[in-house]
Amino acid sequence: MSKMQRTLRLTAISAALASAGGLALAQDAEVAELVTPESFVSIGAGYWTKDRPQWGIYDGMNKDGGYGLLDARIANRDNPTGTWFTLDARNIALETREFRVDWLRQGDIGAFLEYSRIPRDNPYTFLTGVQGIGTATLRVPTPSATTLGEVHLGTVRDRTGVGFFKSLGGGLGFRVHLQNEDKTGTRHWGRGGAAEFAVEPIDSNTRQLEAILSYASKAFQIQGGYYGSWYTNDIKLVDTALTTGASQFFLSQPLSNQAHQFFVNGGYNFTPSTRATFKVAYTQATQDETIPVGAGVATFAGAPTNLDGQIDTTLLQLGLTSRLSDSFSWLASLRNYESDEKTPQVRIVQPAGGCGTCVDNTPLTFKTLTGKLEGTYRMTRGLSLLGGLEHAKQDRKVPFGNLNVAGVDNQRYVPWRAEVDETTYRMQLRRALAETVNGSIAYLHSKRDGSEFTATNELQSDQINPIHIADRDRDKVRLMLDWAPSEALNLTFSAEAAQDDYGYSAARPYGLRDGEATLFSIDAVYSITDRWQFTGWYTRDNQKATQFGQRAVNANVLAAEKEARLEDIGDTFGAGLRGTLLPRLKAGFDVLYSKNVNKYPETITPLAGGPLLPTVGGVSAVPLPEIENRLVRLKLFAGYALQKNSEVRVDYIHERWKTDDWSWMFANGTAFTYGTTTDGTQVLQSQRQTADFLGVRYIYRFF
Amino acid sequence: MNALVKVLLLASLLAAGNVFGQAARQDKVLKGDAQCTRCHDETEEYPVLAIGKTKHGTIADGRTPTCTSCHGESNLHVNRPPDAKERPKPDVTFSKASKTPMEQRTAACLSCHQGGNRIQWQMSAHASRDVSCTSCHQVHTGHDKVRDKVTQTETCFNCHKEQRVQVNRPSHHPIIEGKMSCSSCHNVHGGNPKQLVRDSVTETCFTCHMEKRGPFVHSHPPVQEDCAICHQPHGTTIANLLKARPPFLCQECHSHTSHPSQAAGLPTGRTTSNTLLGAVGRGCLSCHTNIHGSNSTQNSATSGRFRR
Repeated sequence: MSKMQRTLRLTAISAALASAGGLALAQDAEVAELVTPESFVSIGAGYWTKDRPQWGIYDGMNKDGGYGLLDARIANRDNPTGTWFTLDARNIALETREFRVDWLRQGDIGAFLEYSRIPRDNPYTFLTGVQGIGTATLRVPTPSATTLGEVHLGTVRDRTGVGFFKSLGGGLGFRVHLQNEDKTGTRHWGRGGAAEFAVEPIDSNTRQLEAILSYASKAFQIQGGYYGSWYTNDIKLVDTALTTGASQFFLSQPLSNQAHQFFVNGGYNFTPSTRATFKVAYTQATQDETIPVGAGVATFAGAPTNLDGQIDTTLLQLGLTSRLSDSFSWLASLRNYESDEKTPQVRIVQPAGGCGTCVDNTPLTFKTLTGKLEGTYRMTRGLSLLGGLEHAKQDRKVPFGNLNVAGVDNQRYVPWRAEVDETTYRMQLRRALAETVNGSIAYLHSKRDGSEFTATNELQSDQINPIHIADRDRDKVRLMLDWAPSEALNLTFSAEAAQDDYGYSAARPYGLRDGEATLFSIDAVYSITDRWQFTGWYTRDNQKATQFGQRAVNANVLAAEKEARLEDIGDTFGAGLRGTLLPRLKAGFDVLYSKNVNKYPETITPLAGGPLLPTVGGVSAVPLPEIENRLVRLKLFAGYALQKNSEVRVDYIHERWKTDDWSWMFANGTAFTYGTTTDGTQVLQSQRQTADFLGVRYIYRFF
Repeated sequence: MNALVKVLLLASLLAAGNVFGQAARQDKVLKGDAQCTRCHDETEEYPVLAIGKTKHGTIADGRTPTCTSCHGESNLHVNRPPDAKERPKPDVTFSKASKTPMEQRTAACLSCHQGGNRIQWQMSAHASRDVSCTSCHQVHTGHDKVRDKVTQTETCFNCHKEQRVQVNRPSHHPIIEGKMSCSSCHNVHGGNPKQLVRDSVTETCFTCHMEKRGPFVHSHPPVQEDCAICHQPHGTTIANLLKARPPFLCQECHSHTSHPSQAAGLPTGRTTSNTLLGAVGRGCLSCHTNIHGSNSTQNSATSGRFRR
C-alpha cells in the first residue's frame, strides 16, 4: 500500500471514529443543556423620568431617578445524590428586594431561608403643620396652620422565613415553617374626636409557625399539625390634642393577640373511584393585654383593665366523591364552621346618670353549617351536565347590651338576625361543539332568608335590611366559548351576568334594593409565524347597585328619602407581541389600557320641603360628580444574544395615568383642607402622572 | 485503492451510524425513556427533555416517574400497528386537544401528589369543573409559570377574567408588582369555600393583617364575620380596596337618625360638619377611624363608635 493509500485509509477511519465519537459528544452536550437546571445572573440599571406616586405604591420606584436592576437564579443539582441548591434573588437593588435559598436532598431532607420586603408608599402628598408624625404623640395646630411642611406616608414590611423538611420513611414526612414580619411606618388616619388629620404610627411584628406531620400512601393521606400566630404591637395608645393641649383624645391601637390552631386533614380512597375526605381544626385566639388608658381619661369603675378576649373556632368538614359509572359521578360535602367568642361580656361605658347610653362589649358567636350535593353526568363524548344543590344555615348570636326603658337593646345600631339561611342551585352544561370548539353555560340561583330581625334602639335604624343578612335572590349566568378556527389561532369568548334582588317591606324599606353585574371578555392568541405570536384581549365589566335610604332631620336639612344608583363601568384592553426579528434579536411589546368610570347619582326627595343638601357655616355641598380613571401602560423589550448563553436586554415602559377622583378635593377643584379654625392640612393627589422608564440589563446564563 | 477507500469510508459511516443509533437508544433523562426519546429527542419541537431540569427529572430520587408512569404503557404508540393510518396517541395525553378524560389525566398526577395541600382536591371547584393538573401546570419545562408568583397570574387569568381587570385597578394588593400572587390567598387545590389557604376569609386575611384579629373592646361585627362584606381583595377604584365608598358603604347597614343617614355631597369649602364630610376625604372614617375595632375604655359613648 502506498503512503497515500495509508493516509487515506487512516483519514477515513479517523473521520468515522471522530464523527461517531464527536457526534455523540455533541449530542451529549446538547442533551445535557436540555436536562440540566439552568441558572442566570442579570445585572443592569434603569431610569424613571418622572415621579409615579400612584403606580409606584408597591414597586419601590415611585420617584424619578436611577435604579439598579439585579436578579439571579442559581440552580445546582448534584445528580448522583439528587441534591439541589437553589438561590432565587429578585430586585436586590430595589426596595422590593427578596431572596430565597433552598437546600434539598430530594425525597429526604431539605431546608430554606427566605427574605422579602414589601414597601407601600402612600400616593398622596400631605402638606401639614401637624407635629409628631411617626410618633405616639400628635399635636394639631390651632389656629389653623399657614406654614405647612411636606410629608409622605408609607409602611415597610420586612419578612423573614425559615423552613425544614424531613422524610421519615414509609410515606411519613415532617415539615416546619417559621415566618417573622416586622411592619414599620406611618398610615393615614383620622383624629377620631374631630375631623382632623392624624397619622397612625406603625411598629408591629407578626410571627407564624406551622409544623405538620404527614403520611401519604396510594389510598390514604393524612396530615396533622399546629399553626401558631402572634401579633405584637409596640405602640399601645396615641395621644392627640391641639397644640394648646386642648381637645385631647387618646386613640387606642390594636393590642397584641395570638392564636393557636391544631388540625387534622385527611383523605381515603375506598376504591380508585370513591374517595372520602375530612378536616378537623380547632383554634383558640386570645387577646389579654392590659388595656392602656390615657392620662386623665375617665373610665367607668367597672370597666375591665384586661379584656380577657378569647375566640374559639372549630371546623369539621366531611366529603365524599364517587364515580358510579363512566358517565356519572357525584360529590357530597358537609361543613360546620363555628366561631365562638368567649370574651366575658362586661360594662365598658356607664355615665353617672344611668344607662341611657351604656355600652357593653359584644362578643359574637356564629356557626355556619353547609351541605352540598353535586352530580355530573357525561352524556356523550364531550358533553357533560353538572347539577348541584347547596344549603348554608348560619346561626348568629350576640348578647344583648344594656336595656333602655322600652326594653330594647340600646346599643344596637344595626338590625340583627339570629339565623340566616341560603340555598343555592347550580347547573352547568359543558360541550365539545366540534373538534375545535368547546363551550359551557352555567346558571346559578340562590335564595337567602332568615329569622325575624332583632330591633335596634330607634325606629329609623330598625328600618334597614343590612346587606350581608338581608333577604336576597341571586341569579347568575356564565357563558364560555373556546374556538380554534385554525392551528394558529385560538379565540375565547366569555360573558357573565348576575342579578341580586334584596328583600324589603313597608316596615323595613331601606338598604340595597338590587345589584347587577355583567362582564364580557374576548381573548385571542395568534401564532403569526413560527417566530411571532400575538395575544390580545378586551374586557368590559359593569356593576350597578340601587340603594334606598332615609335621611333624618339634621343640621339645617329636613327628612328626605334618597335613592342612589351606583355604577362602576370598566373597559380594559390588553395586547402583546413576541417574536424573533433576527437570529440573535428577540423583541416584543405589551400594552394595557384600562378605563373606569364610577357614577354616584342620588335622588333626594324631601319629605317636608327644605334644601336637598345642607349648608353649614356658609359651606354647602353639590351632588357627587362621576370619577374616571385611565391607565395606559406600554412595555417594549428587545434582547440581543451576544453569545449562546448571554444577552443584553433593553426594556422601555411608557406609563400614563389620569384621574379626576374628587376624594381629596372640594367642589371647586381645590385641594381638600382639614378643619376650619384648626389644622389646615392639605392632601394633594397628582391627577396626571406620565413617566417613562428605560432599563438595560446584561443576562448571563449557565448550567 | 479507490475501491478499498470507498469500502472503508462506507464501513466507517455505517459504524458511525450504528454508534449514533446505539447512543439514541440510551436513556436520555428518565429511567426507561429510551423507547420514547428515540423519537422525542432533542430535535423535538416540543421540549419534552426539559423535564430533566425539574424535580420530575431527578433520577437519584427513587420516586421519580418514568414517561410511562404518566403517559401509560402506550404500546400501540410505540409499536405502531402496520395497518394504522396514523400512529396512535399515547394512552394518556395532556394537551388541550387531548381525548383522555380529565379524571384519568388527573389520576396520573394524584398517584404521587394526592397528599399535602391536594388532599381535598376532589372536593374542589376546579376538580368538579373538569380542570385537570395540566390545565394549569407545565411539566416538561424548567419554568412552570404557575409556580412562580411573577408569572402565575397569566395562567389564572385564562379563566378568571374578572380578577384580571380588578388587579389593575388603582387600589389593589401588590400582585402586578410581583410581591403577591393568587396562591398567596388561595389554595386552588383545596376544598373550602372560595378555596382559601386558611379555613375562612378572615383567617386568610389575618395572616397578613393580624392587627384586625382582636378581639377588641368595641368590636365591629362585619369585621369578625367576613372582610369581604366591605372589601374586594382583588382590586377596586376606591382606597383601601373598599367595595363602595363612604357614606354609601356604611349606609348599606347603618340608617340612624342624625348624620349617619346623610345624603352624599361634595362640600364647597372647608368644614368640620359631619353632615358634609361623609363622601370626601376619608368620609365617615375621618372620625370613626378605628373602624376595625377599638380598645378604648373611655367612659363615653363616643368610644363605642370607633372614634377612640
